[in-house]
Amino acid sequence: MLSLLLLIPLLGAFLLLFWPGQPVPGRMRNVAIAVLVAQLLWSLRVMLAFDIHDGGMQLRESLQWVDSIGLDYRLGIDGLSLPLVLMNGALTLVSAVCTRDISQRPRIYFALLLLISGAVNGAFLAENLLLFFLFYELELIPLWLLISVWGGAERAYAATKFLIFTAVSGMLILGAFLGLALFTGSVDFSLTPIMSERLAMGSQLLLLGALLVGFGIKIPLVPFHTWLPDAHTQASTPVSVLLAGVLLKLGTYGLLRFCLGLFPEAWALVAPWLAIWAAVSVLYGSLAAIAQRDMKRMVAYSSVGHMGYILLAAAAATPVSLLGAVFQMVSHGLISALLFLLVGIVYRKTGTRDLEVLRGLLNPERGLPFTGALMILGVMASAGLPGMAGFISEFLVFRGSIAAYPVATLLCMVGSGLTAVYFLLLVNRAFFGRMAITPPSDPQRDARLDIELAPVASRETVPAMALALGVIAIGLVPLSLGRLSESSSTAMAQLPALVHVIAQASQGGLG
Amino acid sequence: MPIISANLTRSGGMPTAEELRDRLLAGQTLLADTPNHLMQVVDVLESYGEVLDAYSINLIYQAEKQFLNPLPVWKYFDGDLNPARLWRHLIHDRINFEYAEYCQKAMFWHGTGGLDTYLDSEAFLQNCAAIIQRKTRRDPLLALLHPLFPGFILELIRSAATTHALGQFWRVMSDLFLDLARAEKDGRVTSIAAVVDFIQAGLVAAAAKPIIYGVEVGGESFWVLPPEAALTFLVDVAVPYVEAVFLRGMPFLGTVSFNAQAQQISPDQATFAYGALYADPLPTMGSGIPPSLLMQDMYRHLPERLHRWYDSTTRGEGDVRVKICMSFQKSMFCVTNAAIAGTFPHPLDSSEPSEQKANQAYASAWAERLARSRTDCLDASDEAPGRTGA
Amino acid sequence: MSDALPLPIQLVWLIPIYGFSGMLLSMPWATGWIKRNGPRPAAYLNLLVTLLAVAHGSLIIREILSLGPQHLDIAWFRAADLDLRIGFDLSITNLAALELVTFMSLVGQFFALGYLDKEWSLARFYALVGFFEGAMAGVVLSSNLFMSYFLLEMLTLSTYLLVGFWYAQPLVVTAARDAFLTKRVGDVLLLMGLVALSAWAGSTEFTDLYTWAAAPEGGGSLGPLAGTLLGLGLIAGPMGKCAQFPMHLWLDEAMEGPNPASILRNSVVVTCGALVLLKLMPLLRLSPLAVTVLLVVGTISALGGALVAIAQVDLKRAFSYSTSSYLGLVFIAIALQQPFVALLLLFSHAMAKALLFMSVGSVIATTNCQDLTELGGLGSRMPATTSAYLMAAAGLTGVLPLGCFWCFGLMVETLGRLAPLFAAVVLLTNALTVLNLVRVYRQVFLDTSHPKTRRAPEVNWLMALPMVSLSVIVGLMPLIMMRLVPVPGIASFSPLTATLVLGSGAIGLGAGCLIRLDKFWSRSVLKPLRTVQDLLAYDFYTDRIYRATIVTFVASLASLTNAFDRVVVNGFVNRIGSASMASAESLKLGVSGQLQTYLLTVLLAIVLLFGSLSWLHG
Repeated sequence: MLSLLLLIPLLGAFLLLFWPGQPVPGRMRNVAIAVLVAQLLWSLRVMLAFDIHDGGMQLRESLQWVDSIGLDYRLGIDGLSLPLVLMNGALTLVSAVCTRDISQRPRIYFALLLLISGAVNGAFLAENLLLFFLFYELELIPLWLLISVWGGAERAYAATKFLIFTAVSGMLILGAFLGLALFTGSVDFSLTPIMSERLAMGSQLLLLGALLVGFGIKIPLVPFHTWLPDAHTQASTPVSVLLAGVLLKLGTYGLLRFCLGLFPEAWALVAPWLAIWAAVSVLYGSLAAIAQRDMKRMVAYSSVGHMGYILLAAAAATPVSLLGAVFQMVSHGLISALLFLLVGIVYRKTGTRDLEVLRGLLNPERGLPFTGALMILGVMASAGLPGMAGFISEFLVFRGSIAAYPVATLLCMVGSGLTAVYFLLLVNRAFFGRMAITPPSDPQRDARLDIELAPVASRETVPAMALALGVIAIGLVPLSLGRLSESSSTAMAQLPALVHVIAQASQGGLG
Repeated sequence: MPIISANLTRSGGMPTAEELRDRLLAGQTLLADTPNHLMQVVDVLESYGEVLDAYSINLIYQAEKQFLNPLPVWKYFDGDLNPARLWRHLIHDRINFEYAEYCQKAMFWHGTGGLDTYLDSEAFLQNCAAIIQRKTRRDPLLALLHPLFPGFILELIRSAATTHALGQFWRVMSDLFLDLARAEKDGRVTSIAAVVDFIQAGLVAAAAKPIIYGVEVGGESFWVLPPEAALTFLVDVAVPYVEAVFLRGMPFLGTVSFNAQAQQISPDQATFAYGALYADPLPTMGSGIPPSLLMQDMYRHLPERLHRWYDSTTRGEGDVRVKICMSFQKSMFCVTNAAIAGTFPHPLDSSEPSEQKANQAYASAWAERLARSRTDCLDASDEAPGRTGA
Repeated sequence: MSDALPLPIQLVWLIPIYGFSGMLLSMPWATGWIKRNGPRPAAYLNLLVTLLAVAHGSLIIREILSLGPQHLDIAWFRAADLDLRIGFDLSITNLAALELVTFMSLVGQFFALGYLDKEWSLARFYALVGFFEGAMAGVVLSSNLFMSYFLLEMLTLSTYLLVGFWYAQPLVVTAARDAFLTKRVGDVLLLMGLVALSAWAGSTEFTDLYTWAAAPEGGGSLGPLAGTLLGLGLIAGPMGKCAQFPMHLWLDEAMEGPNPASILRNSVVVTCGALVLLKLMPLLRLSPLAVTVLLVVGTISALGGALVAIAQVDLKRAFSYSTSSYLGLVFIAIALQQPFVALLLLFSHAMAKALLFMSVGSVIATTNCQDLTELGGLGSRMPATTSAYLMAAAGLTGVLPLGCFWCFGLMVETLGRLAPLFAAVVLLTNALTVLNLVRVYRQVFLDTSHPKTRRAPEVNWLMALPMVSLSVIVGLMPLIMMRLVPVPGIASFSPLTATLVLGSGAIGLGAGCLIRLDKFWSRSVLKPLRTVQDLLAYDFYTDRIYRATIVTFVASLASLTNAFDRVVVNGFVNRIGSASMASAESLKLGVSGQLQTYLLTVLLAIVLLFGSLSWLHG
């Protein structure tokens, strides 16, 4: 059942590559969309088969592969990966749908898109460390190509930076996995928590450190974030959607699954420092976002800030906070994808993303009023306004973490307040006031400027509208998502050793 | 194709006061004389004429039949209250008479010209006293309020008088604009200059038309604006209307702050520059922009030819009401042009130096005011290629 | 939910839905889907659903009067030890507040039909008002802190959107931003309090929280620091909502928004904020400092607001500061544990202030002017507006035996015993408010007419009718209060107190009649007097203080972070990158070159992997 989630997109990619005749962009797009719809439908089918009361891995599939090196083909799904698989299906579809003006090499473009989606599904479903690593690497090259071939003017620099960073990330993760085998002396790459009986704490900390940095680059956490704003600004809109919505989640998923899941004891030891790291990341991302002039860079920095909440939640590792982490992954995926889509529309219509240049886009007849309305919704969701997905996620994270790390949690809440500052600046500058797309000069001239933007067709806003509805749906009926993930996040938080160690630690005054 | 934002913006020319004055004195039209301008102006005035017809009928109905009615719930029905009309009223499938009232308020509030002077005259107060005496006999509410608030009914009658006068003014203008459309179809009007001449002739013909207003209270007839007040169309109503609506206008809540501390609005109404010739068409249909109502009304009465042209430019139907507003501004410059041409103190071809001087002074005064208006709509830069299609 | 309850009570969850559904119903017009027809149906639909809310509310009141208070709740979200519920507390107080909210919304919406008659974005306005009303109706009925917070934030959002209604106007842009951010600061602090309470007490139901706070193993076990911080966090939200010093600036700026929204904001929105504080009142025992802060903030707001109001030249702002001032008095009453007086004051203030803002709206609609120095002589020509102003002024102050007179009487009586100093604050506020109202009355309604008021007919019936109706209700306020407070009765204060209240009013009246008002005096030539006038007129320069402190702080921190990010973090990475690629040029290698490098590395890694693993295995 799960294998189909890999097969559909991978076969789709091959189908596109070997599609007979000259590649017509429109047809390639339609085929890709059809494949992605099938993938999404199958993800929903998996959700129906999923038992929400079982906290462990379900629907498992396994196949002996290269047994000599412990590389088994083992797939499984739980409440942590299911929402991410669903989101992957939805967001890849969205990014295929919003790919419109692609003129060069559509065949390869869509094949790469499908390849990424399949690889990401594989990474979320893998129950074997090496298998995870393979998929993790498999997704890299297509993404790098998407940035470096179909990107903006500075794409070479951004793509190289992305490549170096993620390659280092991959090396560290692989190193940690291999080190695990090396230290324990057995080639068991299953997802079994490593306890101090099996491995000394020093080695555990070393391996955990490598994984933390590896995934920290991918998430990204300060100070390993610097590839992200460049990659986003140079990537085209669909790629940004995919990058922010799905690929960053590989990092946070790895954090929960492998860092917390494999090394619960070592995790508990470093958790207080992680909480501080989270707070620094949140504040740093938010403050840097305030100073940005490029709308896309601003959204990218906000991602850095918002990913910090997940680290905080993982550090606290209570049932509520881990559920919050899942919520935050989903809501950040939806919201940042929504924001990138809308920024993409603005860019496509006006040719700029500069906040000093854009003004008054809410203008009802000549501006982009509907895009503006959705943008207000998106930034409010991102700022954690109730009724939308961001609020319940942040609330769960904060509520689950405050008892363990009050100071770090409070600082993260300040970061949440800062989100409102920069996004309000964005909306007020670009959408309020008299419409213009020039730097302010002589007021009399500005007031006489006539502006003729191409209209936004309703089909262009359909993907954004779908995401906005998703954001509101989760915000109003969080139980829908909560029921999927609750058992798993509770199970994860109750790794016995973890609970034990945390209890000891808090007695020791760490709380 | 990458989008360069500079290509998306366009600004028309800004002629200086001297250029404008010279054009007025030379008898040239302010608006560039192109076939497309002719089509825009004639057709937009045709739809304006249709709308003014409805406005005029309603204002006259309000002034005559809803006189001093404290709860004029049915004032927009022109006395024709039936279920079908009520339903159309409820779903707002109707002319926005609110805009007519808005213009009336602007005219009343700015209060310039002969009509306004008459509203403070002794004769007018005597007429009102008679009306009030008759009215309060039957109406206990007004009988109670009048002694407490002596200015109340008086002010309402003044307002009604302005309403009626504006209704009469628009009657003439509506007929004139519809005639213009017919003349253009017949081939009698083929250029912007001819449009200006046509309107000028219409205004001159109606100049001396008397403005009178009588009401019926309790079965008795009273004059509010009697014939002996000798109020006439051009000087007493048309000129104040141009002053109040074309030039001064009222600040829009959607673009100007009313905050007293910010001092964005001049304390002197005479220096106001918010009128139709000064307004920015771009925010049309936005919030706090009252002319949106008029644009909507004209949109619903758009002649086929103009509508097709709008559909083929920029966003087509998507920004049609902004385009109507732009055409409307052009046509209002033509009307102003005609009004100025018709009110020169001496003929333009006069060779008498003193007369020439007086004409020059008159043209300068106008040019000075118009130089700050939206003269960027006068040239034909909106016909540049690349504007069509989206 | 028990089946035994009558249907109106079982359906109480519909009450906030009415408002929200108004928003949804307005969408076809607000989004411009309906292009040929105008937006008015949205207004009519909103009025209809609001009317439904009023009717439903009064049905519930009738049932509650016979059944006694009820509590209903529905599970919303449950996970692990977290249980978030949608809860309604149907007490007479809450229901009275509900009726206030829905009724004022109805009146305000009716008024808006006239005030915004030439507004094309009417549907958007009504959609926002519907949203606003739904959120407020939920806040007043809410039985738990989570839901209250949830809806208060929605109020913040809708305030932002309503203030930003005329989004193309430059001052609106800053006003909307400041309104949102100021309230957001309060909200984030409240969120901190909420999260902490939810974690410590395990529930957010107000009744559970009261029990927890009183229990020695609950609130008693909190350290003094935690208790104080909690208390401060909890009062910060209502402080922002009620425009209390130092978070009062937004209300002044929010006057850039449409007047019908100002009517609601100055009457019921602030009331909602204060009601949340009232519900939190029993928790304040955890933090003596929070109580002190409430008293200090209330006093500064009451007196400062009243003084600043007197120095304003803008008609709307002269009364928006007075709102801060009255809410300051409410804060004092709450801090001194006098919920009853606080409630009464809230109700009478809300009614009278709404009426006052309607009258102000009429003046603006007729004269296109908000500048007091340019207004004058309207009194004889605008009966509905003038009488509404007078009725509102009387209802707002302790001069005639209308609403606020009885409130002030009760307040002075109780505070006189508890803390005489604060009784003096009440009397002083009363005197200053009377002074302000009288001076504005003289400038706007008496005086001679100015150019902008030379032609000033009464407003249209859509504005006049709600104004007259509300005037009548404000006039009947004492009777309504008597029904709300049967025991001990609203007149349970001594003749001395009554004399004091009337006396303070009379002093204000006298001073208001005597001060000079001509334009020359509005900004004195005497330097010390001018300094004081300017200080008050510009609201103690609060906006400049903000800009110099917190705004500069955040902005410089942001640019510092940005510089650090570009120079240090990014610069470091670039240097490493250049070094590792042998030369800086190779960073710009062609696409194929990089791919080869990368593939080579990966290949190498895989070889290494296989090698090491088979070695391990073997």
